[in-house]
Amino acid sequence: MNTAFIRTTALLPIFALFFTACSSSTVSTNPANNNATPQTSTVIPIGIAVAQTSNVALLGQEQVAGAKIAEKYFNDQGGINGTPIKLVFQDTAGDEAGTINAFQALINKDKVVGIVGPTLSQQAFSANPIAERAKIPVLAPSNTAKGIPEIGDYIARVSAPVSVVAPNSIKAALKINPNIKKVAVFFAQNDAFSKSETEIFQQTVKEQNLELVTVQKFQTSDTDFQSQATNAINLKPDLVIISGLAADGGNLVRQLRELGYKGLIVGGNGLNTSNIFPVCKALCDGVLIAQAYSPEHPGEINTKFRQAYLDQFKKEPPQFSAQAFAAVQVYVEALKSLDQKSKVNKLELPALRTELNKQLLTGKYNTPLGEIAFTPIGEIVQKDFYVAQIKMEADGSKGKFTFLK
Amino acid sequence: MAEFFSTYGSLIVSMVLGALLGLSLYLPLMTGQLSLASPGFYALGGYIAAILSTKVFTSSSNLFPLHLLLLEMLIAGLVSGILGLLVGIPALRLRGIYLAIATIAFVEVLRVLSLNLEITGGAVGIFGIPQPFQTQIEYLWIALPLLLISMILFYRLERVRVGRAFTAIREDELAAGAMGINPTYYKVLAFTLGAILAGIVGAISAHFLNTWNARQGTFDASIIYLTFVLIGGSRTFLGSVVGGMVFTALPEVLRGIADSGLFPSWLGWLAQFLRDGRLIIFGLLIVIGTIFFPQGLVTPDIFKMGKVKK
Amino acid sequence: MDISLFFQQLLNGLSIGSVYAIFALGYTLVYSILGIINLAHGAIFTLGAYFTYALMGGTFGFNGLLANLTLPLQLPFAISLIIGSSLAGLVGVAMERVAFLPLRRQGSDPLLTVVSSLGVAVVIVNLIQYLVGAESYTYPANTFGNLPPAINFGTVEKPIPIRTVQILIFVVSMVIVAILTYFINRTKYGKAMQAIAEDATTASLLGINSDRFIVLTFFISSFLAGLAGTLVASSVSIAGPYFGIAFGLRGLAVIVLGGLGSIPGAVLGGLLIGLVEAFVPAEYSGYKDAVAFGILFIMLLVRPQGLLGRRFVQKV
Repeated sequence: MNTAFIRTTALLPIFALFFTACSSSTVSTNPANNNATPQTSTVIPIGIAVAQTSNVALLGQEQVAGAKIAEKYFNDQGGINGTPIKLVFQDTAGDEAGTINAFQALINKDKVVGIVGPTLSQQAFSANPIAERAKIPVLAPSNTAKGIPEIGDYIARVSAPVSVVAPNSIKAALKINPNIKKVAVFFAQNDAFSKSETEIFQQTVKEQNLELVTVQKFQTSDTDFQSQATNAINLKPDLVIISGLAADGGNLVRQLRELGYKGLIVGGNGLNTSNIFPVCKALCDGVLIAQAYSPEHPGEINTKFRQAYLDQFKKEPPQFSAQAFAAVQVYVEALKSLDQKSKVNKLELPALRTELNKQLLTGKYNTPLGEIAFTPIGEIVQKDFYVAQIKMEADGSKGKFTFLK
Repeated sequence: MAEFFSTYGSLIVSMVLGALLGLSLYLPLMTGQLSLASPGFYALGGYIAAILSTKVFTSSSNLFPLHLLLLEMLIAGLVSGILGLLVGIPALRLRGIYLAIATIAFVEVLRVLSLNLEITGGAVGIFGIPQPFQTQIEYLWIALPLLLISMILFYRLERVRVGRAFTAIREDELAAGAMGINPTYYKVLAFTLGAILAGIVGAISAHFLNTWNARQGTFDASIIYLTFVLIGGSRTFLGSVVGGMVFTALPEVLRGIADSGLFPSWLGWLAQFLRDGRLIIFGLLIVIGTIFFPQGLVTPDIFKMGKVKK
Repeated sequence: MDISLFFQQLLNGLSIGSVYAIFALGYTLVYSILGIINLAHGAIFTLGAYFTYALMGGTFGFNGLLANLTLPLQLPFAISLIIGSSLAGLVGVAMERVAFLPLRRQGSDPLLTVVSSLGVAVVIVNLIQYLVGAESYTYPANTFGNLPPAINFGTVEKPIPIRTVQILIFVVSMVIVAILTYFINRTKYGKAMQAIAEDATTASLLGINSDRFIVLTFFISSFLAGLAGTLVASSVSIAGPYFGIAFGLRGLAVIVLGGLGSIPGAVLGGLLIGLVEAFVPAEYSGYKDAVAFGILFIMLLVRPQGLLGRRFVQKV
């Protein structure tokens, strides 16, 4: 009995190792099998670690679409001076542990030169330190929380932080209605993004010398906001600011309007998606949302990107897709510049990753987001921001974001 | 081999932590009580470690000192144990269904608190948690001994008076009461021990994941741990260990299969479904497991394999 | 707080409370017959909303296996509501046959049935996500014909607007409660159900086929869940596959407050929790979710049998 027990116990860790070994004996797309061999492969792998499953996939699939368009576009243009790039996708799902596993697979198994991802800021706080220790560059396509580039030398982002984007929409609201005095703020307290954003919104309200009459918290899973909307309307605000996601934010807009609120509404970046249209339908009309991207941005690269997206999905490209495209573009152009200095496929992988990281922080890039560059710590320097207003058809069936001049 | 460990190091550690979480849920089940509170204590332990290591135990050295990590685990276990007592005593006086409801509510209340308090960092959570090790795989130095110690303790527990009292309550609470066993005392004891274990695992996980937030240890997580225990087996602790390891590894194994290109395309599609739809499969396993294997797949009879049948 | 605001919040609380109440009715019915909490109730609530949406000719979005799927029919809301809720009822019956009946036959611990229902909930929610994706869906604009979005209960100077949808939900819920109460207390079927709830063994000796009534109970309970899901969705859209989970958790607090197995208790508990939530002041709005569970804990300590429940009798 006892010996049997000990045998079983000893077997467990071995069994566990065997279990994982089975799955690791996979054929890597790269014949490079240890870190010392130079990159002699015929493609240059770039890792994309975003959420392709779980409820975060709503955002992640937009990023996948943008990245794939970029892969095709740049390979048609000759890739890295003749060597094509290859995107390697690893699903992070919606949680932290899944993100760590996806990063580890990209870094060690797929041997990518750099990573684009992850989707959520919370996932970034979890997985980016691992990339930092492995000395591989990470470009965040959608992490807007405070402190992301500060995680380490190898972490940068193409998604402008909320502190830069959010205030624009309040300024636009003041332009439309200079008589705004009282402001009511709502935010989804269980969403990291909305929490960071609302702090910036509230700070902007104070800086503009407006009166903050109420701050109401809700959950992204909430659907009934009547008592909160009633409380807010009772204080007679001239402006309502909402930081949430599509379903809850859309419902809040709808219920505010149905309960008789007539003033302006500013939405945060979480409402910046066409997924909000079916929720509040005709009542979405007039909501102001600040944007880090405009499909109408002039310039050749954006025209090409927009056309490719329109052909494939029959609608205007969303911000998340444009940012993912821009992230891939930064890697491609940095690799090109690097290749001119020293042949990329002659460099050993660790050196290549480090050199690539140095290179990408120094460049200037003309992307669909407009002209961007990076500060030495990896924060994006972006010139063009926009404010869009939702315009709905009268029957609420269709809507679009129209950009304010 | 080095590449294998650097790729799957995190996963191996996650598997050990999964086994420990399975054990923490198994403890109340030993007395026949369905508790879904483990994720709550896990979240609490993680917050304690995250706050202590970022605010209190700030050290100048490159690596976070190990003895402080052990101290955090101790504090997390203590606090979770005290809270376990406070929740367990009122809920366990009543029938089993009340404990299930109370624990679901408990997990939700903790989530709401962590979202509202300043110290827990709201939805963003706490990040930049210092690392005691250079690589992820080295967390095994902490996790593996903890698992082995727990397993030895469980092995002993199932064979001493306390463990037998647990089993007696599970089989028939009224009869156990008539034999002079105090059911509430033992039920609270099992519940509290489970809380302590979950708190300690949370403390390790906070360091392991680099960050901690309100998305850790939610109602969804309870369901996954429950799958570990039910499918692994709710009659012997080994079932929870095996279940925890296998189910933690499963998504990553499927990822490997889907990536490998070794399989024909239709199998690749299947692997993709198994990965994207894995929660559907978890749910089905819970239903099938309760109906066909109410004892789980790993039963005490396994040990009788090597023995001569009388 | 001035009087018009007080009145408005009172109505808001009653309207959301009435949804909690019909949601909890289904929980309580199953509990009174089988002594278990069916944790898949919230998932069936969600499913009912999706069924109704499909029957009204709604299109499903661009992710999930059934992307861009539309049923070739466009039924009016009232008919879709009845058929959709009935479909939800049938899913409930199927669930009982597949996931609960085998356990009853084995004579297993009721807690195993609770676990099994949790498994069913996980399957339903994730199947929805796998098939039609995670986005929100809204019923067509003409769902309620040409009713105004809100009705003013006050004057022009002091408006007390209440959303029309909410009034409808409140009225429908109260009608359902009335019908159900009549059914349970005045009909042969209802009395048989009561007898089974009281003592299944004696009931079967009296010649009541308890298995048939268990099926009936599950149909009614799941029908109510689907109905509640559709009503809420008509007010706030279907907010993804996890739509019913929050209601499912709140419903637990409602039935503990009202008393497990008590039908008037479920109604009273639902209305009370709705009212308490409506009067949470703005500065504590972050704690709104904890209100129901706080009440639950206090009840466990003070009066575990709930407001209208009966004292426990340990069956020996």
